[in-house]
Amino acid sequence: MLIWVCALHCEAKPVIDYYRLKKSHDARAFDVYHGDDMVCIISGIGKVASAAASAWIAASNPGATSIAWINLGVAGAAEHEIGDMFLLNKVVDADSGQRYYPAPVAASSLAGSACLTLGQPSDNYREDTLFDMEASGFMHAALRFSSAELTQSLKIVSDNRRQQTGKNRQRVSELVQQHIDSIDRQVRALFELKREIAALELAPEAWQQLLSMAHFTQTQKNRLRVLWRYLGNRNFSSESLLGQLAAQKSARSIIQTLEQISFRDSEDL
Amino acid sequence: MVSCVYVESAVRNHPRTEQLLERLHKLPRIEIEHYGEVFNPRSQNFRLQKKNPAIIIAHKNKGQVLAAPEGYGLGGDYNYYFSHMLNCIYDCRYCFLQGMYQSAHQVLFVNYEDFGDQIRQIAALHPGKPVWFYSGYDCDSLANEPMTRFTDYFIPLVAAIDNAWMELRTKSTQVRSMLKMEPVARIVTAFSFSDQFSHSKLENGVPSIAKRIEAMRRLIEAGWPVGLRFDPVVYHRQYQTAFVDLLDQVFAKIDAQKLHSVSLGSFRLTRDHFRKISRLYPEEPLFAQNMHLNNGIISYPLDREQEMIEFCEAQLMKRIPAQSYHPCEWHG
Repeated sequence: MLIWVCALHCEAKPVIDYYRLKKSHDARAFDVYHGDDMVCIISGIGKVASAAASAWIAASNPGATSIAWINLGVAGAAEHEIGDMFLLNKVVDADSGQRYYPAPVAASSLAGSACLTLGQPSDNYREDTLFDMEASGFMHAALRFSSAELTQSLKIVSDNRRQQTGKNRQRVSELVQQHIDSIDRQVRALFELKREIAALELAPEAWQQLLSMAHFTQTQKNRLRVLWRYLGNRNFSSESLLGQLAAQKSARSIIQTLEQISFRDSEDL
Repeated sequence: MVSCVYVESAVRNHPRTEQLLERLHKLPRIEIEHYGEVFNPRSQNFRLQKKNPAIIIAHKNKGQVLAAPEGYGLGGDYNYYFSHMLNCIYDCRYCFLQGMYQSAHQVLFVNYEDFGDQIRQIAALHPGKPVWFYSGYDCDSLANEPMTRFTDYFIPLVAAIDNAWMELRTKSTQVRSMLKMEPVARIVTAFSFSDQFSHSKLENGVPSIAKRIEAMRRLIEAGWPVGLRFDPVVYHRQYQTAFVDLLDQVFAKIDAQKLHSVSLGSFRLTRDHFRKISRLYPEEPLFAQNMHLNNGIISYPLDREQEMIEFCEAQLMKRIPAQSYHPCEWHG
């Protein structure tokens, strides 16, 4: 699953339209939009709101085996042009000094930047960094659920020393909209990484079926998981394996049978 | 492909940093306070990172040179190791480095002089006795040589300390800088080899066996002491034939009489490293083989391990002088 976290609806709107996300009528704490393996949550302004929304949406999807995240929003910058988009590579919380380093997606052609997350709006522009009000809260929460490689923050400059457009909602949507193709490339790269991790996970139905065949202690379950993941990833069909195990009467004999299959298979490296 | 360069602020203006950044000028550069803030967090995926690791340029604050673990080394009384880098550019599935750190990024320490001071101090603690310094425990000693220029600093340093010996452990072919220097009898470059089948299955990004043999040959020809490390020997159905083929290939080009030392050891990992790495690569046959836990180490069942070592030793002894052989002893 890919989760978008945006502070404002106007920041999210181009994404909601592009991916045809539908508003959920079940969620009350936040506005949430659902699509195919994708969710967008509108957090509200500020790092606490962003952290709360990120934690809430992750907790609301406990079945998601690997979550990719994008925090999308606008930011201030001293000299960058209005509309320039950056992939954050360093996020600093101005209040606590806490630093986060979202890992760069190598396939990305986007320019990278540091970002300082402030507790209050400010027009004290600094040369070496963007600034916003959400990224550190988002990072703090999202990194609890995913790795830094799957946790990204995209910021589009809406304000600089010469011009401020951040309060114009229509304009903010336009700034995001003009980057929608680049954003989509970033999404595809993230999905690719996420797929690689997800492919290694256990298929839940067959796993439950296997567990129901005998009473396994926790130690036996751990061993079983290792064997089942190995064989699953080596293209042994779950059905065929479950068929071979049907005659086994105990947890121990099930594990021994799977071990024998694994040992034979692995002798060819 | 390297994704970006992290640079500790404190070493931003260090001459080695500037040299490195000049080579890496096309990569995005991110300033950090301490390498640990990028290298140590738990929320990292080693497997994903290994595809596009970053380079971290850093300062090693303490513990530059440490006592070597028991059983490590070539039988000397005083064994130490040091790592001017953390992690390796290669991706060998059997390597404990996959379970050693949270991150797959490569840390390059630039304060060689602090390493040098410690090496001198430790050597001085044992006057008149040979003291071994092993490089290549947490990294490949030579793999990043064009960037790190490790040999330019450490070889003259060790050469100038009468009782210091150094082993450079490598799978690389980066010997060009050594070939430009006068050989030093107390500096041994040890090349690790696995058989061709294991190499093709398990050693991603490692130069071919033939190229590594050629690098060895050139060093020997130039007068440098060279070692051979058949470690780890990995079990597979054809391991015996493959090992004999490897020995034939090596000794067709290398004069066994000129080797400083040869060692041999079967695949083994600590239990913690084994668990961590096998979770990272659940589809990897190496970790699905029949393994046993013995004194905190996961390795082949004793009878299989004994069979493998006995076979390989016997083959090796047909080709090398007995005095150059040092088995890897880890059973305690």
